[in-house]
Amino acid sequence: LVQVSKTVPRRLLLALPLISALLAVGSEAQATKSAVFGTDPHGHPISTLAGPGARVVVLFFAASDCPIANRYVPEISRLTKEFAANPPGTGDVRFWWVYPNPGDTAQVVAGHNRDYAITADTILDPRQSLVHLAHATVTPEVAVFLVEGRELHEVYHGRIDDRYISLGQERPHAEHHELEAAIVAALAGKPVPQPGGPPVGCSIVFLQK
Amino acid sequence: MKALRALALLPLLATFGMLLVHQSVQAHAPAAAPPSGQEPWSTSQTLPSKSTEPSASSPTWSHDIAPVLYKNCTTCHHPGGAGPFSLLTYADARRRAPQILDATQSRFMPPWLPEPGYGDFAEVRRLSDDDRALLKRWIDAGAPEGDLKSAPHAPHYDATWQLGKPDLVLETAQPFTLPAAGTDVFRNLILPNPLKETRYVRALEILPTPAGVVHHANLLIDRTGSLRGHHPADWQSGIPGMELLMDAGNRFDPDSHFLFWKPDTRALVEPDGMPWRLDPGNDLVLNIHMKPSGKQETVTAKVALYFTPDPPTHLPMLLQLDADDKLNIPPGDSNFVVEDSLTLPVDVEALGVYPHAHYLGRDMQGWAILPGGEKKWLVWIKDWDINRQSVYSYREPLLLPAGTVLHMKYTFDNSAENPHNPHLPPVLVRAGNRSDDEMSHLWLQVLPVNTAPNPPDPRLLLEEAWMRNRLAKSPDDEVSLYNLAAALSGQGKFAAAAALYEQELKLEPNSARTLTALGAALEGAGQLDKAENRYRSAIAAASPADSSGCDARFDLAQLSLRRNDFPTAENESRALLSTCPEDAESRSALGAALLGEGKIEDATHEFHRALELDAKTFAALYNLGAMAADAGQPDQAVTLLEAAVSGLPASPDAHEKLAVAYAQSGRLPDALAQLRIAARLAPSDAQTHFSLSQVLDAQGQSEEAFAELKQALQLDPQNADGWNNLGALLARGGQIEAARAAYQRALAIQPDHAQARANLARLPAAQH
Repeated sequence: LVQVSKTVPRRLLLALPLISALLAVGSEAQATKSAVFGTDPHGHPISTLAGPGARVVVLFFAASDCPIANRYVPEISRLTKEFAANPPGTGDVRFWWVYPNPGDTAQVVAGHNRDYAITADTILDPRQSLVHLAHATVTPEVAVFLVEGRELHEVYHGRIDDRYISLGQERPHAEHHELEAAIVAALAGKPVPQPGGPPVGCSIVFLQK
Repeated sequence: MKALRALALLPLLATFGMLLVHQSVQAHAPAAAPPSGQEPWSTSQTLPSKSTEPSASSPTWSHDIAPVLYKNCTTCHHPGGAGPFSLLTYADARRRAPQILDATQSRFMPPWLPEPGYGDFAEVRRLSDDDRALLKRWIDAGAPEGDLKSAPHAPHYDATWQLGKPDLVLETAQPFTLPAAGTDVFRNLILPNPLKETRYVRALEILPTPAGVVHHANLLIDRTGSLRGHHPADWQSGIPGMELLMDAGNRFDPDSHFLFWKPDTRALVEPDGMPWRLDPGNDLVLNIHMKPSGKQETVTAKVALYFTPDPPTHLPMLLQLDADDKLNIPPGDSNFVVEDSLTLPVDVEALGVYPHAHYLGRDMQGWAILPGGEKKWLVWIKDWDINRQSVYSYREPLLLPAGTVLHMKYTFDNSAENPHNPHLPPVLVRAGNRSDDEMSHLWLQVLPVNTAPNPPDPRLLLEEAWMRNRLAKSPDDEVSLYNLAAALSGQGKFAAAAALYEQELKLEPNSARTLTALGAALEGAGQLDKAENRYRSAIAAASPADSSGCDARFDLAQLSLRRNDFPTAENESRALLSTCPEDAESRSALGAALLGEGKIEDATHEFHRALELDAKTFAALYNLGAMAADAGQPDQAVTLLEAAVSGLPASPDAHEKLAVAYAQSGRLPDALAQLRIAARLAPSDAQTHFSLSQVLDAQGQSEEAFAELKQALQLDPQNADGWNNLGALLARGGQIEAARAAYQRALAIQPDHAQARANLARLPAAQH
């Protein structure tokens, strides 16, 4: 098992089962067919986050009913386009929209993606394994991982930019595009700058135990 | 009885009032940094696990929290409501518990900016300390549900109109496409109204679709459709901008109501006796502030109007204090203070206040110093936020006697530390119309009280004081010069008004509207040649493509009528009708000109055409009524003149003509009543007193008849009929010598006065 703390970036293996929200580092035999990262809106299991050639994975935690998360859809779409690859899924950066809330069922998410013209890869995370992986607490929030061999190495998590300072405290437009800077630094192999403030939005609805 | 007067009794058509409609519209607002020592609130707290057992004393949703949410939150936060999510059910509240905690503890929600204790407002949205503490204890305890059976019933929210079926629904001409992303959007959507006659609006509701993207809205009344006129090609798609300059038209009727909409006050109900007027041809302009939602939105809006048959009995007015002239905020200055003050010329009651600034505003204070020195707070906002701006109504009207000085003091923060600063690094900011310019406005709705029984309208005095205050700050402000001149004109101070219009013309030399207004002021001052000259200049200066010369043409036609120059009046009326849109008053002006020229049939035709266009056209009703009376058709005359009197009760001539018609019908008491009204309205009109004496005499009230006759002859000593009548009254009373003198006076004035001669002959010979 990989121990995770706030100060030490986590390491995990790609495409391996998550057990009770902890990441297992196991043998090839353990990491195969069963879906471990949730499903796409059509119910197909997602078994790998980094496609061939991907050097950076970005998870964007979203909620269909969170106004601030929705207001960030154009910004995330902009970044997705900026780092887009052709054909999709083969580039340096792999973006995922992650819906962790229990109310965001496949049907709800499909409708939401249609309304907001979201065409990027989407994961439903009903067991919130990715939430725990990324230590996400609210939507919108992002996590950036470096792909190192079979491991994902988290280098950034938190807000997308500094437009929202707190609930009700909002700049006319963002001054610091922190997620974008983090991706650029990660791709360049440079130290990744960290967010200058907490993420602002709607609490993720945590599963009741 | 008085000869038929062909002159239409229209009030002077002074182009009245170019009202600044500032109701600006903005984007965000600065909010102060959290107090030191306190964590900036984020939404990252999570709920304690539900397994935490609530203690016996823990509040529960069913028992404690639902009532608080239903009272304070669900007006907006219900399915389909303006709030971004619902808080109607336990599941909703639990889902949002962390945000509820953040938003209420920081007082971000419910939205309420005024500091308690500085202005006593109605419908206070501020959450009580007890309720805040209760919410915190509930969330700390794990947001327990409690016994659902004991929970109150959830309120029901109707998706359509709160006040029931509207009398009229107006809808935006075209949907507005709000982009998915970007800064806030301000748009003016124009809603023409289909009314054929004036209505009085007692309430309105605004329903934007989709709910949630419209932050707030101001509904403005464009009396002349001027905004649409300036954007003939594209008004349907809405007009950008925050501060609109509209042409208020020719009638002094200053903006009087805050038609301000925010999501939690959908229905706007005016106090009794204070509906606002909506005329045919008025446009409503919905000035909306929208926030991009993340997806492209198709925004439409409906405005529902509820009418009352009764015109307003109380006429409030909006006043504005501002220090925009002093806004010159250096970059980096976190404490830039401006002030303004205004002394009230009349007693008023303050009904509501609307403070307004843009992104840099922080602390906003308004107060009044009463003549005795007492200080009354109007409002204090310590942490301005344009996103949560509102109009605040006082719980009780606030009496501010004449001599009260209104004050405003606003503080702006143009430092980089102000998160709402649109410029990083900060730049010099001045007053202006764009969202990243600034404003410093304090609007106050006031109702004049303890009003003197006679004119001038106290609102003219308020307008005068306000405009003088604006000119003291900005001497070359064209709008202030124009409006001050109009306010003086309205008070009958024509010479002073004309001087101000002249001053305004130096700034704007070829303005047809100012030349027209100047002509009207000169006409009021009795300088008819000069007035005519200015009207002709206005017609020459006006663009042939639009209607800017029509007022001058109309006034010129009226002036010719006034001078009994009927051929010119006819020519000008015909020019008016051929170059400007046909309206009832132009038609009846032509009718009056033809009548003056003795072309009775043609005149009758024009008056009837005028009444087809507007059945209440006063001059047409009056003149047709007077013609009927003269033609010995008293029934028809009574009908027409009663309508004329009810349309313009301030016209003494209409009352007098109606009295004639009543008298012809044998209705002497009714005739007497009308004449008494006429005498009250125009005490120095000799003819009214002659008529009064005749009616009184016919009713056997000889003494009063005698008094009225003497008063009439004092006013008009050259009236031979009057002296003859006086002689008859005296002779009947046995005062033979006095009667003889009166008849002789009549004959001295008019030697061929047959009746006086016959009366004199009938007197007993003089005793020597």
